Amino acid sequence: MTIRILVVDDHPIVRQGLKTLLEGREGWEVVGEASDGMEAVEKASELQPDVMVLDVTMPRMNGLEACRAIRRSLPKLEILFVTQHDSPQMMREALDAGARGYVVKSNAARDLLEAVEAVSQHRVFTALNQRDRVSPLL
Amino acid sequence: MKLRILLADDHEIVRRGLCALLQKHEGWEVIGECSDGRDAVEKAKQLKPDVVILDIGMPNLNGLDATRQLMQHDQNFKVIVLTITDSDQVIREALDAGARGFVLKSDAARDLVSAVEALQHRRMFFTPRVNDLVLAGFLDKGRAISATEPPTLPTLTAREREITQLLAEGKSSKEVASLLNLSTKTVETHRSNIMRKLSFHSIRDLVVYAIKNNIIQIDMPVGAKNGSPAA
Repeated sequence: MTIRILVVDDHPIVRQGLKTLLEGREGWEVVGEASDGMEAVEKASELQPDVMVLDVTMPRMNGLEACRAIRRSLPKLEILFVTQHDSPQMMREALDAGARGYVVKSNAARDLLEAVEAVSQHRVFTALNQRDRVSPLL
Repeated sequence: MKLRILLADDHEIVRRGLCALLQKHEGWEVIGECSDGRDAVEKAKQLKPDVVILDIGMPNLNGLDATRQLMQHDQNFKVIVLTITDSDQVIREALDAGARGFVLKSDAARDLVSAVEALQHRRMFFTPRVNDLVLAGFLDKGRAISATEPPTLPTLTAREREITQLLAEGKSSKEVASLLNLSTKTVETHRSNIMRKLSFHSIRDLVVYAIKNNIIQIDMPVGAKNGSPAA
């Protein structure tokens, strides 16, 4: 299955890590990168990806604000947060902002591919550090 | 002959990024990856890499103490530390520990290759801020650096620092003993010595001390970007 992905994180080395992991899957393509929320909003509109992998804490505009803006303008684009925040409150906030998935950065190598696959099929994927799925809350 | 690099960072996604960056460079090979400082010390002793890249904020044994242990084992190790901050204290500790390269994680995509190249050619690599601080210290005969020193506390031994980190990470004496191949009683003795030396009465005091002295690092809340690629 072909999936076009936009990767958003303010640290180039993390974007590179995410990209390496995502492009290891046949048919998946990282079509663009952005380093803050504002650039994410612009690139999402320009590139129309299927999935956006989005950090929370970023300069200029954080991921939550970007997520809300993108959900309004591009409702079909699925958003997956990949963040250091291993907290149910932050996960709840991300889902309320319109994200379909939430993965903790320390486990990204384990969870990322499964999560992208799920959200690309419009399924919810959430995993805190203890694989503490939030699905029952939904 | 290939340049053999050992890489240690507790975030696999960061290691993937660093690996991709380093392996683009012809003639360089990442011969091993580690997710904590203790494993890095073991693997470095075993694999004898040409360059060791150590994140400072790692569990079980932080990158500064791992650097100290490596240099104690063999002065010829060439270590680059990756850090989320170039505060005076971290710079001073990294230099004292024996690191020959100092790269901010946020700038790793730009600076890491240059840092490895520098060490490969027996030079050092520091951020502009480190260079400024070292130069200021040299010109001012050390006063510029010493002026920023934190209040003096009794010095902990290498073993006590290791145990401090593990306790501050929430491990029990029994868990620490198992990790360090010591008896629980020995760990308890070290623990009492640490608390007595530092005049601490609770583990909370020890955690605060460990954070303040870069023995452990903590994540920052949203909006308080700390420069960590894990943020």
